Amino acid sequence: MPRSASSRLPGFVLAVPAWVWLTVFFVVPFLQIAWFSLGEKPGMFGTHSNAVMSLDRYAEAFSPTFFTIFRATLWMSVTGTIACLLIALPAAYFMALKVPAHRRGLLVALVMVPYWTSFLIRTIGWKVILSSEGALAGFLTDVGLVSDPHALLNTRGAVLLGLIYNYLPLMILPLYVAFDRVDSALGEASKDLGAGRVRTFFQVTLPLARPGIIAGVILVFIPMMGDYVTPAVLGGAKGTMVGSLIASQFLTAQNWALGSAMAVVLILLTMLVVVLAIALLWGVGWLVGRRSRLVIGTKSIGTKKVATA
Amino acid sequence: MSRPSGTNIALGVWTTLVFVFLFAPIIVIAIYSFNGGRLLTAWDGFSLEPFTAIVERPTVRHTVAVSLQTAVIAALLASALGTLAGMAMARFPGRWTGPFTLLLLLVSVTPEIVDGIALLPWFVTLGQDWSLLPFNNGYVRLVIGHSLFATAVVTYIVRARLVGLDASLEEASADLYARPVATFFKVTLPLVGPAVLAGGLLAFTLSLDNTVISSFINVSGTTSWPVYVLSSVRSGLKPEIAAVSTILLVFTLLVLGLVARVLKRSGSSVTDTMAVA
Repeated sequence: MPRSASSRLPGFVLAVPAWVWLTVFFVVPFLQIAWFSLGEKPGMFGTHSNAVMSLDRYAEAFSPTFFTIFRATLWMSVTGTIACLLIALPAAYFMALKVPAHRRGLLVALVMVPYWTSFLIRTIGWKVILSSEGALAGFLTDVGLVSDPHALLNTRGAVLLGLIYNYLPLMILPLYVAFDRVDSALGEASKDLGAGRVRTFFQVTLPLARPGIIAGVILVFIPMMGDYVTPAVLGGAKGTMVGSLIASQFLTAQNWALGSAMAVVLILLTMLVVVLAIALLWGVGWLVGRRSRLVIGTKSIGTKKVATA
Repeated sequence: MSRPSGTNIALGVWTTLVFVFLFAPIIVIAIYSFNGGRLLTAWDGFSLEPFTAIVERPTVRHTVAVSLQTAVIAALLASALGTLAGMAMARFPGRWTGPFTLLLLLVSVTPEIVDGIALLPWFVTLGQDWSLLPFNNGYVRLVIGHSLFATAVVTYIVRARLVGLDASLEEASADLYARPVATFFKVTLPLVGPAVLAGGLLAFTLSLDNTVISSFINVSGTTSWPVYVLSSVRSGLKPEIAAVSTILLVFTLLVLGLVARVLKRSGSSVTDTMAVA
């Protein structure tokens, strides 16, 4: 009779240390701030108190001063995500379907190099490029595009540029994987059946890459909403985001109750937008898919199981 | 295969521009690490001074040392936790895998700032209210903060590696009357070895770069390198910051090259693993 390890010891025991560790240092701390968010800041020197329970901190987080920053963060993250998608789509398409197979691995590795380089240092690199002493500011002032060399840095535009830059690799990679899995025979079949290249791209290739698009949008949008480093380095006073707001409640104002409420609102808002975006992307895909179903048959034919890289 | 058409040339040019965009700030930092001026942003002639300044300034050396020590311990811890969890997920799936996968997913998608602001009060509760003194120690706090996401990453990589391997080797070992412990150390561990190494090295680089969580749970005296850099964004960036960054960049690239080689030799897809991370 074969004796496997599972007959002696339940296998999930191996996962218990990680489970306990993540519960104690991830789940419980989060529950604690959710609890703090229902309390208040007691007097000058206290950070939090749950003596009086209320939803007042949430009302405070939605007050006009703070809500403006929530709205600005949402605007920058949505714009930044769409920009990432538009920049990454042609590049990922080219890398996956036009570059010779033996050179694709190198290109993917090159995309990952910036992503694994220190986030903070890359952002500081943009600070150097955009600074008033830099060559770019000098050039733009000489040409006459910018009147003041200080106009580049410490603006909302600089933060947006930083966001797009910092998360672009996270959009390119899933799109690349998605395009890589699209069977090129389907595209040829579409052309044989008389569809033009543009029509093939929009009705065959793009719908098949939809899971990659959804993955990329989620991977880029969520960290953008919570970014704290990019506005701190490039934003100055004008480019504040929710991350900076929450940080200042914890590190400067010492108001943990309000900071916690803001963090909870940030998470709920992010989740809401992600759900809406997925619904939208599926909806659009469903409309396009319904029209092209007769042409390509069931969509499951189009996906290869194995990704080669 | 495909003749270079107008569209393809346009796509190629676009992709080249994207790569220029991706590398621009990194190249700028590498160049400015030879800046002889007093401030990083103002170029003032070529000089090796930023590199000699590293040796002369104790703060720079101390913060880099804190970061390296933390990264080693955090990587070892995350590798241990993640390897066991990844093996359990791949070899003993059951009703528990669903909730556990959800937990890992939440750990991966939660913005770092939320981890940071949640850990700060928690360490205060543990260390000051409950008098569990280790949690007031800066190293302990940094290691814990850096281990969370890294544990999830190692778990994904180890699980992916084992799912791709046949369980028959382990079964054969059990059939040959090896005790489960012996099977684990002599069969399973060598099989997942490359994945553990790759996951551990990734955990190391993640810890080395961690800025957000570290800046919230920072204890004075054990300030890590990125937290020091972030604080000098406000007080004035010096060229030696670029110099240290250039050295760390070369170091990280060597580590990543090693990861890619190990993963390639062990047969897993590098892109899939990295995309998961």
